[in-house]
Amino acid sequence: MTTNLNIVLKRASKIYHEGDVIAGIVVVENSNDVRHEGLTLAMEGAVNLQLSTKNVGIFEAFSNSIKPMNLINTVIELAPAGKIPLGVTEIPFEIPLRARHPLPGAPAGCGLLETYHGVFVNIMYTLKCHMKRSFLNKPLNTSCQFFVQYKPQEAVPCKPVRCEISPNSVRRGGGGGAGGGPMPRFHIYAEIDSTVCALDRPLTGKIRVDECSVPIKSIELQLVRVETCGCAEGYSKDATEIQNIQVGEGDVVRARDVPLHMVLPRLFTCPTTSTVNFKIEFELNVAVIFEDDYLVTENFPILLVRSR
Amino acid sequence: MPASYKWTSLRKTTKNSGDFPSINVSTHPLKVEVVSMKQSSNKSFIENINKWSAAFEEADPLMKFEQIEAEEEISSLAKIDIQTNYSQAWSKRRTNILNKYTTGEKLTIVSSFLPGGEKALIRQVSNLNEKVKHRLEQLDDFDEDSIRKTMGLSQQEFVTKIKMLDDEIKKAWNTEQRVRAFKICIQCSKMLSDVNVMQFYPSKFILICDILDNFGNLVFHRLKMKSYGDKVIKSPLDIDSTLVPEAAKETCQNWIFKMASIRELLPRLYMEMSLLKCYVFIHKDEIKPTIRRLTKMIRGIGNPLVAVYLRVYLCNVASKLLGKESEEYFYNNLKEFLEEYQQVFHPMMVKKYGTQLLTPDQYLTLYEPAVNWLIYGTLNLDRSKPLLLELLDQCDETENNELILNCIVASFDSQSIIENSTRILDMVHKSADKMVLLSHILASLGEHLCKAESYRKLSSEALSQAWWKIASNIRSTVDFLQVLGPWLQFACTQLSTQHTNIILRGTIRFMLKCGKPAEEFSSNFHMVIKRMLKSIPDIEEVFLMDAFMPLLELVQTSSARTVMAKTVLSIFFERYNAVQIEDPVVISSLMRLCCILHDSISAVTVEDESKVCAELINKYVHAVTYQDDFEQQLNFYVECRSAFIKLDAVLVALVHSVNALACRAGRGRGRWLQRACAAYCFVTVPSLHCALTKAQLYLLSGQAALLSACIGQAEANLKALVGIIPDIPQYIQEDGQNKSTHDRLVGLLSNFLSTLLILPDNVDSNCKAYVLSGFIKLMERIHWKKTDSLYYTLLLKILDLLCQMTQEKYAYHIDFVISNDDLYGSEEEFIDSIERYATNICQELLVVLKLLGDNKDTKKQYNLSLELFWRVTRRGDLNEPSMSSLAANLWMLSQKLQDSNNKFAKIMLTSLEKDKNQASRQLFAKLKSD
Repeated sequence: MTTNLNIVLKRASKIYHEGDVIAGIVVVENSNDVRHEGLTLAMEGAVNLQLSTKNVGIFEAFSNSIKPMNLINTVIELAPAGKIPLGVTEIPFEIPLRARHPLPGAPAGCGLLETYHGVFVNIMYTLKCHMKRSFLNKPLNTSCQFFVQYKPQEAVPCKPVRCEISPNSVRRGGGGGAGGGPMPRFHIYAEIDSTVCALDRPLTGKIRVDECSVPIKSIELQLVRVETCGCAEGYSKDATEIQNIQVGEGDVVRARDVPLHMVLPRLFTCPTTSTVNFKIEFELNVAVIFEDDYLVTENFPILLVRSR
Repeated sequence: MPASYKWTSLRKTTKNSGDFPSINVSTHPLKVEVVSMKQSSNKSFIENINKWSAAFEEADPLMKFEQIEAEEEISSLAKIDIQTNYSQAWSKRRTNILNKYTTGEKLTIVSSFLPGGEKALIRQVSNLNEKVKHRLEQLDDFDEDSIRKTMGLSQQEFVTKIKMLDDEIKKAWNTEQRVRAFKICIQCSKMLSDVNVMQFYPSKFILICDILDNFGNLVFHRLKMKSYGDKVIKSPLDIDSTLVPEAAKETCQNWIFKMASIRELLPRLYMEMSLLKCYVFIHKDEIKPTIRRLTKMIRGIGNPLVAVYLRVYLCNVASKLLGKESEEYFYNNLKEFLEEYQQVFHPMMVKKYGTQLLTPDQYLTLYEPAVNWLIYGTLNLDRSKPLLLELLDQCDETENNELILNCIVASFDSQSIIENSTRILDMVHKSADKMVLLSHILASLGEHLCKAESYRKLSSEALSQAWWKIASNIRSTVDFLQVLGPWLQFACTQLSTQHTNIILRGTIRFMLKCGKPAEEFSSNFHMVIKRMLKSIPDIEEVFLMDAFMPLLELVQTSSARTVMAKTVLSIFFERYNAVQIEDPVVISSLMRLCCILHDSISAVTVEDESKVCAELINKYVHAVTYQDDFEQQLNFYVECRSAFIKLDAVLVALVHSVNALACRAGRGRGRWLQRACAAYCFVTVPSLHCALTKAQLYLLSGQAALLSACIGQAEANLKALVGIIPDIPQYIQEDGQNKSTHDRLVGLLSNFLSTLLILPDNVDSNCKAYVLSGFIKLMERIHWKKTDSLYYTLLLKILDLLCQMTQEKYAYHIDFVISNDDLYGSEEEFIDSIERYATNICQELLVVLKLLGDNKDTKKQYNLSLELFWRVTRRGDLNEPSMSSLAANLWMLSQKLQDSNNKFAKIMLTSLEKDKNQASRQLFAKLKSD
């Protein structure tokens, strides 16, 4: 007497753009005839915001989590109440992906935001299939995530950025250095090919150690998200690491360009977004760690876009 | 049976040879065949065997292996020539690396997928209090992801663990735990960042690459299954990404995202390389840019050893995927390596290998396979400037260029290296003092030069001189000898003898100067000498160099000297073209070597060993000739006898040689030489051990003496032979088996008896047929069993001889030797004594017949009676009643034993019937009537 519900999407990648039609089938697999009170499919999309614990003090008045913002909510009926025969039954469906109302802050003509999994901000889209049954039986539910992406825009011009890291620049910046002791002598040149990055392209650049009086232990590239929640009267801003990629291991050769190359992870990145209630921004840190764990970093804010 | 029959021999009327029907023949069994077969030197024993066993279809299994190997070698050589089949070439190198880079040090594996081992000290977070931490750790024990460190592994254990991990990957993959497989793989590639036991690093690299390749294949095949099912796809490049279903593409993309998010650089690079071929499912054109990008990204690896092997892996992956097109990437990576070359000598690396107790040259050889491989892949690249010149230019500008130089010399073909040899040598010369790979470079350069077909003489000399300047300053003797080998060969093949001699002199000086006894390097030294001997065009020239013999004598211990002498001799005889040696210098040098060889033999020497020595010395004895100076030749033999007294085989050869000398001398000039020869033999033979050999040699020497009409000496030799017969044992030890001397003795003694016929009697003695009578007396006393066929066969033969001796003219003679027929002229007294002997022998034979009958040995009895019957009818005078009755009795006896249908008996009867002699026919009638 088991019944299985399953949603299978036509598109293997499960990636859809606004305006696309989500097509797929709901597979009902049962070992007996099943009587039900109606089979429905719901498409939901929402932004979940969460305030970081660090800032809870300020926001004590608020509840810890803010009410999720609904982006989309459509329900269709797949089958009226009736009987589903024994075996595998496939019920095809099609739902157009269209926002309820245009969203402030999103690119023009866009009512939907890209799927994004963060720490304090989550943008998720799901399909939920629901089978109502007679009061003696529990209703059956199944759900399936799908991903929304913006339609690729025109390619944006590159905005290269370069910097030189030396004891002076570190002092001027007043930070970056960790650990005590006198600062070693070094001169490092770093270059990012563009601070405006397409999401499906790797982030590239190069770094060169021109001079360094102590051995280098590691050179790392850190991708950081900066999530801002709340509105004008009170907000929290938190920077957390998404991923850290090593580009140099050990004492690398001096005066040679070492390429920087980072593939931006899916789901954990999205186009840089700024709305009334929240902001998602990204930054890149280039860190050089010396043998004695002395750390020198340089920060580059970057703009992520969905472009060709 | 009657007690006695008096023997009377039939005196045949002498027939001239013309009376017998005769045919002129071109061959006959006794013809002396002059086989002008030069013992082809390098045809070894095995080859001879091969010739005979060729008829059999099945080859010797061991030989088969050898053949297969040889064939493989040939085929692989052919492949290397084509240069496209990288994997073939690599797999060969792979084995070499695994064999070469081994360690006795303890190794460490850090992995979370192996059972056992200590908990790793690396723990990620630790802000929990101790108690909680401990509890969590206990829980971790069940958790597979806890990282464990297994220390103190031997190399073998390490290899087993790696294999276990490989199996673990497959197991995980097959049970749908693909992420687990991926994690194991990452951990494996992380091991390659550990350079703690450096000398094992190249082997570790190979082992781990296998794992990565396997993993890459698993992923690739799964994607292929998803896209094409079981369809066979020859090369990954045949896959058209537009035809790949979306699901497969998505999976592939996932793998790539997963790989790209690996935190550490080294595992990320290794994993990307192992998954490189999966790019064909997404976008084929991305492969080449990716390879280029990876080539650059390797710059981020600070450790040069880790980096260069990473490059090797990249090139291997590229070559597997792109074939010949990958040359470009080989070249790029080589370039990258050269750019970062100084990193190899980074003070940190120096410190590291120092703490691992590696010497600088050991450290540098760790790079060798990698750099060689990179150069190898680039060899065929078409470039405006030849690669070799480009690299050499680079060497010129680089400090510490020895590693590059070494790899260049090892990788390029001989032809190009030879063309640039002067330049390379100059470069070496410039920095020879601080080079640690000096001997490697020089040795392989020398090897290349050895392959030169014909080099311009002038520059050869210059080269050799330049080389010597460098080589003579090498500090380590072992290195010096290593370098000396190929260069000496080069000098031998390309330069004059004087030049080679100069090098040899220099070598002596070097060896003396180095202050250590030469024994320590005897094996290296040995190799050098061997090589020189094998390469010198005319082996005789070796002894004409005045430095050669002193060089050999540098080694002082007798064992090393023996080995050396043996090698020199065996190679000399292998390569010596002429049959004879005439040059006195060569003769005396060889004599010295032979003496060394001989002196090494002692009571404890194994038999085979002395056999080999004897064989070599024999070759020498046989080869030395003084042409027509017979006296000198004999003196030489005398000298040899005193020098090689311990070896019986040599003495035997000497006796043979001396006999040959005696015969060669002919009868011409006096007879003193022949007498001296006979005396030599007579004196030499007693010192042998084997009685049978002695007997043979006595006989031979007797015959030789007789041939040169030295009757006294001949008699002495034959007498000695008679004296020695009782000492001949029934069995002798030969090749570890007991062999009966029976047949050989019969042959020997028959030969002896035939010789006796022509030996003139000693007139001084009052006994007729002096030696024969001695032999007969010996037969009476001898301890042989009377029923033994040896005994009665000999008696029959004696009977034959006695009958022949009564003839007026003997069947054969030797010129200038007056045999008994002429000596006695059939004198009555002589005939009587001979017939007396015959009667006795006949009597003895009858006794034997009776004994055989007693023993119920009917077959033997039958044969003997027939044999005797035959002799009576043929050789006896049947007119004498005693003879004919003896014949009749013997016939009856034989008939009694077996019917007359025997073929042998029948023939006898027929011949009897047809005989012209009246008496014979009478006897026949009588036999018939019975």
